[in-house]
Amino acid sequence: MRLQCTMSGTAIQTLKLAAIPVSTSPSRLIFWPVTKTLTATLVSRHNHTQRPPFTLLVRALSVQAVQATEITDSRKVVKPQWKAAIDFKWIRDNKEEVAANIRNRNSNANLELVLKLYDKMLNLQKEVERLRGERNAIANKMKGKLEPSERQKLIEEGKNLKEALMTLEEELIKLRDKLQGEAQCLPNMTHPDVPIGGEDSSRIRNLVGRQREFSFPVKDHLQLGKELDLFDFDAAAEVSGSKFYYLKNEAVMLEMALINWTLSEVVKRGFTPLTTPEIVRSSVVEKCGVFYARLQVYSIENSDQCLIGTAEIPVGGIHMDSILPESMLPLKYVAFSHCFRTEAGAAGMATRGLYRVHQFSKVEMFILCRPEESDSYHEELIKLEEELFSSLGLHYKTLDMATGDLGAPASRKFDVEAWMPGLGRYGEISSASNCTDYQSRRLGIRYRPSESPSTNPKKGNKSNLAPTQFVHTLNATACAVPRMLVCLLENYQQEDGSVIIAEPLRPFMGGILHISPKSR
Amino acid sequence: MRITVDEYDVVSVILSSFLSVFVSALRPLCRLPSATNPMMGLQSTSIRTLKLAALPVLISSSSQFVFRTVTKTLTAALVSRQRPRFTLLARALSAQAVQAAPAAEISDNKVLRPQWRAAIDFKWIRDNKEAVAANIKNRNSNANLELVLQLYDKMLNLQKEVERLRGERNVVANKMKGKLEPLERQKLIEEGKNLKEGLMALEEDLIKLRDELQGEAQCIPNMTHADVPIGGEDSSKIRNLVGSQHEFKFPVKDHLQLGKELDLFDFDAAAEVSGSKFYYLKNEAVMLEMALINWTLSEVMKRGFTPLTTPEIVRSSVVEKCGFQPRGENTQVYSIEDSDQCLIGTAEIPVGGIHMDSILPESLLPLKYVAFSHCFRTEAGAAGMATRGLYRVHQFSKVEMFILCRGEESDSFHEELIKLEEELFSSLGLHFKTLDMATGDLGAPAYRKFDIEAWMPGLGRYGEISSASNCTDYQSRRLAIRYRPSESQSTTNPKKGKSNLAPTQFVHTLNATACAVPRMLVCLLENYQQEDGSVIIPDPLRPFMGGISHISPKFR
Repeated sequence: MRLQCTMSGTAIQTLKLAAIPVSTSPSRLIFWPVTKTLTATLVSRHNHTQRPPFTLLVRALSVQAVQATEITDSRKVVKPQWKAAIDFKWIRDNKEEVAANIRNRNSNANLELVLKLYDKMLNLQKEVERLRGERNAIANKMKGKLEPSERQKLIEEGKNLKEALMTLEEELIKLRDKLQGEAQCLPNMTHPDVPIGGEDSSRIRNLVGRQREFSFPVKDHLQLGKELDLFDFDAAAEVSGSKFYYLKNEAVMLEMALINWTLSEVVKRGFTPLTTPEIVRSSVVEKCGVFYARLQVYSIENSDQCLIGTAEIPVGGIHMDSILPESMLPLKYVAFSHCFRTEAGAAGMATRGLYRVHQFSKVEMFILCRPEESDSYHEELIKLEEELFSSLGLHYKTLDMATGDLGAPASRKFDVEAWMPGLGRYGEISSASNCTDYQSRRLGIRYRPSESPSTNPKKGNKSNLAPTQFVHTLNATACAVPRMLVCLLENYQQEDGSVIIAEPLRPFMGGILHISPKSR
Repeated sequence: MRITVDEYDVVSVILSSFLSVFVSALRPLCRLPSATNPMMGLQSTSIRTLKLAALPVLISSSSQFVFRTVTKTLTAALVSRQRPRFTLLARALSAQAVQAAPAAEISDNKVLRPQWRAAIDFKWIRDNKEAVAANIKNRNSNANLELVLQLYDKMLNLQKEVERLRGERNVVANKMKGKLEPLERQKLIEEGKNLKEGLMALEEDLIKLRDELQGEAQCIPNMTHADVPIGGEDSSKIRNLVGSQHEFKFPVKDHLQLGKELDLFDFDAAAEVSGSKFYYLKNEAVMLEMALINWTLSEVMKRGFTPLTTPEIVRSSVVEKCGFQPRGENTQVYSIEDSDQCLIGTAEIPVGGIHMDSILPESLLPLKYVAFSHCFRTEAGAAGMATRGLYRVHQFSKVEMFILCRGEESDSFHEELIKLEEELFSSLGLHFKTLDMATGDLGAPAYRKFDIEAWMPGLGRYGEISSASNCTDYQSRRLAIRYRPSESQSTTNPKKGKSNLAPTQFVHTLNATACAVPRMLVCLLENYQQEDGSVIIPDPLRPFMGGISHISPKFR
């Protein structure tokens, strides 16, 4: 159970007050998202003693009704693990647009239900506020000198009010949980330039190079890999299961070279390199909105943890529950990790060889920035991808993916599909998404605009701090190794059965120029 | 439970039904005298899974698939259908008295079967029981040798009884082939029925007994090299001491402080996102990790090792066969929910598994692999131990060496591995000592283990950075990795029958850390720290880091 959320005055917020000086800074330790086991005990202990100061603090700090996390007296209801800071008012005020967006994206979110629950909740909340007011009035009356019978009457009245209030508050909590559940299904809004329709409607943005012509029969990467002794799928099927593999010999060096070359190219452009945990809490996966619905995730037994399907998850999580100073933005990361996917439901899809596998290495770019900049960083990311793939001499097209092909978090997504001559088709090798504030509203990542004169924090009056805003997040594949191996092997195969190494990778492979059949 | 049926399983089901026809046609041809094979006699109800790697065999193309290990979910369904024909086939194919590990023993019985069997040499254990008992004592193992021997005797007796009853049943069956009085026939039918029932009961007992025997016997640790010092960790013997403690003219920082000042890791964010003892590497630490991996791989490859990257999710049975415990309270292994898979704690597991259920031609040996993988460990029960910073973490990168070789060569390859480790760590300028670990400190699979402990000035102590173990045939008897000595004239015509093939033998396996990245980062940062707060990169790694020579504090 995680501490709970606000909207009303009983709530507190958990802030990772990254670079913000606050008077009650120890709060960081106390209200830090606590692990499941600890929360229950902490709640009751800190509830009464500490609630008031935080309520004030929140009010002072936030101009906005952000639901970060909340504490309530009711411990019997099972609380959701976390809450997204969904802007319900905005949704209500823009319901036609939201409805059209849901339709365009083939989402099964239920907007009507969300709005109905929201109205119901607002009414209930008003009622709760009214009863609280009455209870306070009675409490105030009782401070004065009173006839015993009068006092008895007030006590009775107060008791009744308290009971009614408790019931309503419990209802309110349940209603909020339900509202959250429904509202979390709403997809992100869509960039106006995105073509509306199914996958066929995706628009080609760019076309680079052309299909190489071969004067000999083309092999696919599986056959090349077999002849050059580069993978072992059979042993992996025994040891691990189908769609696992060992890389062998030059394939190992090629993987390392791809990772190293990509990292160094992207780092040159000002990105901070990272390696990430590959086991994360399931809640972080949910907050990134990535595979939750598709059950693409390997879960760890007897824990709340799972394996990452992409480094986007741990990198998205690195600033979770933080308020960043504007001066730190943009934050540009490039992360190397292994990725794990169950590929449940992929039975009918292209699964030959390395194209769709359970485990792979990937270099992923991730940007956190101010909202007004996310479109231009999206362009920067797709340009960077195109540069990388062009340097490797690949023939590819860049697509502006249609609404029907967007995952819930993406406002817009550019895919790169490269020509794979052995497979005889274009295959997706990367994807660059602008998730605007969809992830940051779930991960709780905000920034504090710096124009405010927030010079002296000790003064205690925070009214001169600018209100925080949610950052925008973007992610983009720099190099998904197995698909890149497919491209490199199939495009650079030679008539004699060897494969030439793309030039930029040679310095990272000890200078070797090609992979030749081994004599064994 | 996972519903997915992987491709091989489907293939095996299809092929096995096809093969059943084929095999029943072959049945009369295949029946070889099983009397030449005492251990096969023991296991007459069992089958073997053979990945007939390089062996030319009669039905090689399909048998490979048919005998594939089947996943848990499917085994139950396959069980009853396949026993009889596999029994015969196994007899026909094997010329040898090995108790090969039937990967999934098959029976009609309702008892939950072990997924696999170790090819434990019970006869050898019985004949050497004093040595085995002393070894168990020296290694502080809680294996119960008395029980193993008792169960073994019991099983032998039960088996004789079963054989006797089978003989009687056959006699009855033969009698019934002739012309008989109806009354006489009725009597024989009755007799045969009784014998069959008695036999079934005994066979069930036998299966249970074998399972119990396996369970107990699998706890017996490997035997120990004669030179290994006997005793607890303190008794470990120093083999070698390289370099000396670097003297610092300034207050020494530990790697955590250095990492903080140089912005190299983030444990706090990882604690939020993943849990404690997880971490992000940042900035130069990422480049240093990549450089360590690349440099190590290239150095080890130069010495003739084949590079690999491995699956990091493997079947739990493979973990068990390598001698690790994937279940239980204090397991170091992360399991995947709703599956029979788990995460590897070391690349030793998937590399050990790469030749599982194979018979290798001798000419292929030694096989030397160097594998890069990420490793995952729960570190359950490590609460009280040195856990600061990168020293003990849940996930890390590691380059691991693995050798499969003939039995008589494993000692010399063990020496080669420890020399190679020493060369690597010397090139990086580390001060370390090499230890011949005492019996009390050996895991069950190791016959002998050399550890390297390097000086970590910030932590102010020596810390283990690598380990090289000779597991002799402990793992190969579980993973069923054998080789066929080449002196036999097996080249000519495989169709002729197998009598001219030399008997197979179990390979020996060895494993050794080439580079466990986080501990290496501790060593490098703490040993190469400078007074100005920077850290110098050791020479061999510089070409792998774009030529940078040191890590300096960043401005932000």
